[in-house]
Amino acid sequence: MYKFKLTFLLLATLIFAACNQNKKPATDEEAKSIIAAQPDSTSSKTVLFFGDSLTAGYGLDDPSEAFPGVIKDKIDSLKLPYKVINAGLSGETTAGGNARLDWLLKQKVDVFILELGANDGLRGIPVNETNKNLQSIIDKVKAKYPEVKIVLLGMQVPPNMGADYVNKFKAIFPDLAAKNHTQLVPFLLQGVGGIPALNQADGIHPTAQGAKIVANNVWGVLKGVL
Amino acid sequence: METNPVNYQRKMNIPWLFNMAWRDSRKNRSRLFLFISAIVFGIAALVAIYAFKYNVQNDINGQAATLIGADLAVSGNKPADVHLKNLLDSLGDDRSQERSFASMAYFPKSQGTRLVQVRALQGNFPYYGAIETTPEQAGTSFRKGQMAVVDKTLMLQFNAHVGDSIKIGNSQFLITGILNRAPGQAGAVAGIAPVVYIPMQYLEQTGLVKIGSRVNYSFYYKFTKPINLDKLTKKLDPMLDKAGMRYETIESRKENTGRNFGDLSRFLSLVGFVALLLGCVGVASAVHIYVREKIASIAIMRCLGVKASEAFLIYLIQIVGIGLIGSVVGAALGTAIQHLLPVIFKDFIPFTISVQISWMAIGQGILLGVIISLLFALLPLISVRNVSPLNTLRLSFDDAVLSRDPLRWLVYLLIILFIITFTYLQLDSWLGSLFFTLGILAAFMILSAVAWLLMRLTKLLINGSWSYLWRQGFANLYRPNNQTLILMVSIGLSTMFICILFLIQNLLIGQVNLSSSGNQSNMILFDIQNSQKDSVARLTRQQGLPVLQQVPIVTLRIEQINGKTAADLQKDSTIKIPHGVFAYEYRVTFRDSLSGSEKLTDGTWIGKATPGKDIPVSVEENLAHRANLKIGDKIVFNVQGVEMPAYVASVRKVNWGKVQTNFQVVFPAGVLEDAPQFQVLLTHVPSDKVSATFQRAIVHSFPNISIIDLGLVLSVLDELLSKISYVIRFMSAFSIITGVVVLVASVRISKYQRIQESVLLRTLGASRKQIFAITALEYWFLGSLSALTGIVIAFGGSWLLAKYSFEIPYTVNYLPALILFFIISILTVIIGLLNSRGVLNKPPLEILRNNA
Repeated sequence: MYKFKLTFLLLATLIFAACNQNKKPATDEEAKSIIAAQPDSTSSKTVLFFGDSLTAGYGLDDPSEAFPGVIKDKIDSLKLPYKVINAGLSGETTAGGNARLDWLLKQKVDVFILELGANDGLRGIPVNETNKNLQSIIDKVKAKYPEVKIVLLGMQVPPNMGADYVNKFKAIFPDLAAKNHTQLVPFLLQGVGGIPALNQADGIHPTAQGAKIVANNVWGVLKGVL
Repeated sequence: METNPVNYQRKMNIPWLFNMAWRDSRKNRSRLFLFISAIVFGIAALVAIYAFKYNVQNDINGQAATLIGADLAVSGNKPADVHLKNLLDSLGDDRSQERSFASMAYFPKSQGTRLVQVRALQGNFPYYGAIETTPEQAGTSFRKGQMAVVDKTLMLQFNAHVGDSIKIGNSQFLITGILNRAPGQAGAVAGIAPVVYIPMQYLEQTGLVKIGSRVNYSFYYKFTKPINLDKLTKKLDPMLDKAGMRYETIESRKENTGRNFGDLSRFLSLVGFVALLLGCVGVASAVHIYVREKIASIAIMRCLGVKASEAFLIYLIQIVGIGLIGSVVGAALGTAIQHLLPVIFKDFIPFTISVQISWMAIGQGILLGVIISLLFALLPLISVRNVSPLNTLRLSFDDAVLSRDPLRWLVYLLIILFIITFTYLQLDSWLGSLFFTLGILAAFMILSAVAWLLMRLTKLLINGSWSYLWRQGFANLYRPNNQTLILMVSIGLSTMFICILFLIQNLLIGQVNLSSSGNQSNMILFDIQNSQKDSVARLTRQQGLPVLQQVPIVTLRIEQINGKTAADLQKDSTIKIPHGVFAYEYRVTFRDSLSGSEKLTDGTWIGKATPGKDIPVSVEENLAHRANLKIGDKIVFNVQGVEMPAYVASVRKVNWGKVQTNFQVVFPAGVLEDAPQFQVLLTHVPSDKVSATFQRAIVHSFPNISIIDLGLVLSVLDELLSKISYVIRFMSAFSIITGVVVLVASVRISKYQRIQESVLLRTLGASRKQIFAITALEYWFLGSLSALTGIVIAFGGSWLLAKYSFEIPYTVNYLPALILFFIISILTVIIGLLNSRGVLNKPPLEILRNNA
């Protein structure tokens, strides 16, 4: 038999966790690392990054090297009164995100950054389905915290998926942003996607260097929201 | 004055020695024939088994090549740069290329869209096996035009037929064939989406390969000239590694395919070893008895002035001659069997065995036959030097004189060395050969000890109050000229081999898991949301499919181990936890019991969490090792923002070999039920039709669920595995039968041992019935006791083999052993009775004249 280590995970590949060999020593940022609820006395508001492996920092030495971590550093250095929560989960689809949202909305959210859809796209999930799930997520967040500001991060699928699917998929995000009056980052991986040097060996997950550019893409929109 | 008429200083007359060897053999040709036939059977068994072994080994290797389809496959997810391209173009004698990627295919007729795996192919790949299609020629002819070959489940799903078209990117392709099976990519990658083959020359115009496209680049090579691939790949490895490419060879794929190939080759080694020893038993017992019977003739020759050394040489020459004739005839017989058997049984053997003449097998057979004859003849013959003429005058010849010769030990040593050497030829490992030989030595000693004990015990037990027949039957076991030791050893060893082969074969067949067996999953549904889990399971059952596994999966990270965080790790280099342990996202499950593929190695399993207390979790062995975790260690998990304190309650060993979900960490019930999770469902689809219908139903009701159909991948593997298991069965069945034949032959040669006595008994007035009973009793005791001992040794031996050589769990089925016991015992009695049939049916004098 083949070694089906959690076969489905293997398959679902892309955004799923893999072995962590050959890790380089961690950076100083380690100390700031983990993500979630480390209450910061000075901050009063919360930025929640809700997404998949791109948010979770799949394959990076340290999850805080992913773009939400870079943005957190920026917020901290500007002494803005925001606490950053990274709720990224490798392999997450819009359906999965929609289902686990309640778990995360238990804490108050002021800025909700929605980064999902990439795994749907890579698995060829029908565009309507992705659209429907994202809409449901936006609705739930708004229903619970009407004052929330939502930033939608746009994704694209690689050209090999076929022009038809690529175009329909790309259109989901501006459509949703317009419909729901949310902020939009047109393409999260602008300047990173498809450039080998900025991506890990798998070709889709940004390196720490790539994550900095991604963070810049997001910051361009986010700074106006904060 | 010279009183001795014999000149002991005379020169050795070599031609005369040969002449004498020939003359002596003339005395009783029918008896000689019997001995030679034992040798023939022993060597025929050996040659046939070896020849089969070499042939099936080649067959299986050929079949394994179809898994990958080429001698060497190189792949990566980036196009090769100029330097690498030159290197890649220089390899092999025939080259093919493939680009594969995921894409949304469109079926214009049914207007359906689905994720497929496009494989654009150039060249003659596959070099081993074929792209199997309906119609058959489509697998090669699609390369000539704008045509595609499409996975059969996909065809069924969209109700497409040959002649329809499929749109890949911007281009339409004519569907020219249905893909049934293809070599190439292993495992899961191929399962995620159904495969569509297109010719590479039309790839460009699809417009799918652009900057940002995720494409896998594969290069396949065939080497027509023999080449050391190991060496080549070692050289290539660093260059490919730098370019982010991987390589695969048939050997490496075999290793990754799991234990079955290893099991097979170990089993074939075992069979080879058994064949070797069957050969030994056959030849050795024949030679041993033959030479022992010659002692009287030697004594007479000595009386007539033949020197001890001359007598020694005469019989040595004779034995080598007999051994040579027996071995050559045996080798011919074995080769004939090897050629005839597959023809005769071609309707019963579900695969073709190639029948090439194996000169290696024949050579080993003949060499072995001659050497064994020589070595085992030496044992009694070295005592010939001490046979005095006086022996002729004594009626019975006392064995005891034979055993006190220091040279015997030299012969024993030679025999052991010889067995180790020939075992090495089968096993390719000196250590293994040493252990196998030691095992056989131990078995031999146990059998000898039992024989010795039997003789002692019967001598003690027999008393005058028993009936005459019983006394006589028992007394035959220990009286001079008894055959207890030799028959105990040969029957015992043969039984042991037969039993070991049978037991190991059963264990190995149990290890072969075919996906077609019904309770093995070949389809995986994942990303099932909690709200969907019941309806998906219901839908699965409605379609008549089993829900083999449905497990929840929660993703979490490790925050702390024994109070240490990733940050502490950075500051304190003495903490022995690799950084990756904290960076990893763990996919865990929760349940109240262990699954069938798990076994606790440490701690206790706790299936239910106590509210308010630390959570008892079970950790997989490798993770425990990597993260240096021990029972009782405290771990704080971060379940998507919520910290959960836990401790290691148990360590599990997980069998990763099956298609099923396995986990590094398992939580008890009662903690994670409300955590964000998704479900995975495993099922078994019996056919492509069912698979297509089921997939259609799932996609229709639950578009978010991803389906992995492993049918195509597993069918290639299944064919190979079923072939392996047939080969194991065939080889063991064949070896067992030959084992029985050798056993029969070695019991048969005891024919002349009892003739004289039986005839004497008859002349003294014993009835046929009485002789019949005496013989039956003697053979029953010999047969049953040696079979029993052999079987008991086989239990021990197979346990050792299972544990140390095959490394599989040992279970034993007593019923076949019991049946084997009765078969061997009864067989021994029957042959014993057949042996004395002549004595019973003919007048005593006729027999005495014939055989004296």
